[in-house]
Amino acid sequence: MFKMEKVVILTDQYNQMVLLTDQLRKVVADSGVQNGLAAVITLHTTTGIGVNERVECLESDIDEALKRLVPEDLPYAHARILPTYGSTAGNPTGHIKSMLTGNNCLFPVAEGRLVMGDAQDVYLYEFDGPAKRTVTITVMGD
Amino acid sequence: MPVTIDIHTHPDFFEAVNSDLDQLEYHRQALGLYHATIAPLQHVFNQMNCAGIDRLVLLPLDLTTIDGRPVVSNEEMVKITALAPERFIGFASVDPHRPDAVEALEHAFADLHLAGLKLHPSRQKFYPTDSELTPIYECCLRFNKPILFHAGISLEPDTNSKYARPEGFEEVAIRYPGLRFCLAHFGWPWVTETAALLLKYPNIYTDTGLLYFDSAREFYDHVFKTELGEHWIDRSLRHQVMFGSNNPRFEQIRMIDALRHIGWRESTLELVLGMNALEFLG
Repeated sequence: MFKMEKVVILTDQYNQMVLLTDQLRKVVADSGVQNGLAAVITLHTTTGIGVNERVECLESDIDEALKRLVPEDLPYAHARILPTYGSTAGNPTGHIKSMLTGNNCLFPVAEGRLVMGDAQDVYLYEFDGPAKRTVTITVMGD
Repeated sequence: MPVTIDIHTHPDFFEAVNSDLDQLEYHRQALGLYHATIAPLQHVFNQMNCAGIDRLVLLPLDLTTIDGRPVVSNEEMVKITALAPERFIGFASVDPHRPDAVEALEHAFADLHLAGLKLHPSRQKFYPTDSELTPIYECCLRFNKPILFHAGISLEPDTNSKYARPEGFEEVAIRYPGLRFCLAHFGWPWVTETAALLLKYPNIYTDTGLLYFDSAREFYDHVFKTELGEHWIDRSLRHQVMFGSNNPRFEQIRMIDALRHIGWRESTLELVLGMNALEFLG
């Protein structure tokens, strides 16, 4: 069995963490899959998917750590007009943060339920917002 | 808190004017923004809020004699501005080569209540001193409406910058000292030429919609601190420069952030970010 849903999100900050756990649980519950895998995958190159603990302090630490690793004011090669787009590509930090965080996460599904650790939540990381974002949630199995 | 206005934005990808894929594709090709996607109204508000912008001036473009249609029509501008009249300021556009250009402009001002006129010499293929522009300038004077001209090079297809050199607008400033007009994009790459015109003619304005190389901070530093003297705007041109992003081609959020960090006096920043636009709009 294979079920995929697209979740569309309008982010409203330049860098932002958007919780996706509830949507993931719902898609798994509605899928009818009893045993298999559930994947959350972003369709963008300036967002990330992360799994971490949902506490304000950690959200802040993750945001600050990424900003330290990828400062906004370095002379990035990607800061230029892209002729194929006809517009400026001023988002190199978003691409690099996206590479660091990855574009997906995966969880087991057993007896029709998502298998997650108590401290785990799923986030969409926005690194070039505000923007209209699409994330796929896919459930595969029997 | 002083008002913050983006004097130069394009509504071409707003949901309200992209009801089908043909329209979207025409807008992409007409503007040369080949990967642009439809922007829901809430997304536009999210961008404005993130950038700390209160109001957008939205610019249409009439290409009736070039493409047989406007990119965004004056009637569509009314529809868009009605979605958020407290946040959107709609301009009109007329193709100067249309036989009924003046009538269309009078209708846009008198009946549609649009706030100014957008003209694009490079795309609409006219020189600012062409005789067919005379009744258009006179109409703007009659209705006390400003004109925002594209100036300098344009990245849009089918454009020639010979029509939009800043020096080509001096005759208009001489002939119509009461006509407020903006040479958009600081007339880049002819920014010194634009600065010279601003110095001499108080009815000429410009905007900051230029990001042709580098990041916003790098490019603004280069243009406003190296190509122009570091203090020229802060000391001499502070009443004629308006914040404009040229969104969606450039980067509204990073550009306004770069200006906020450029080192001008706080009072200059308030003028550039909104007060000058209020004067310009009349």
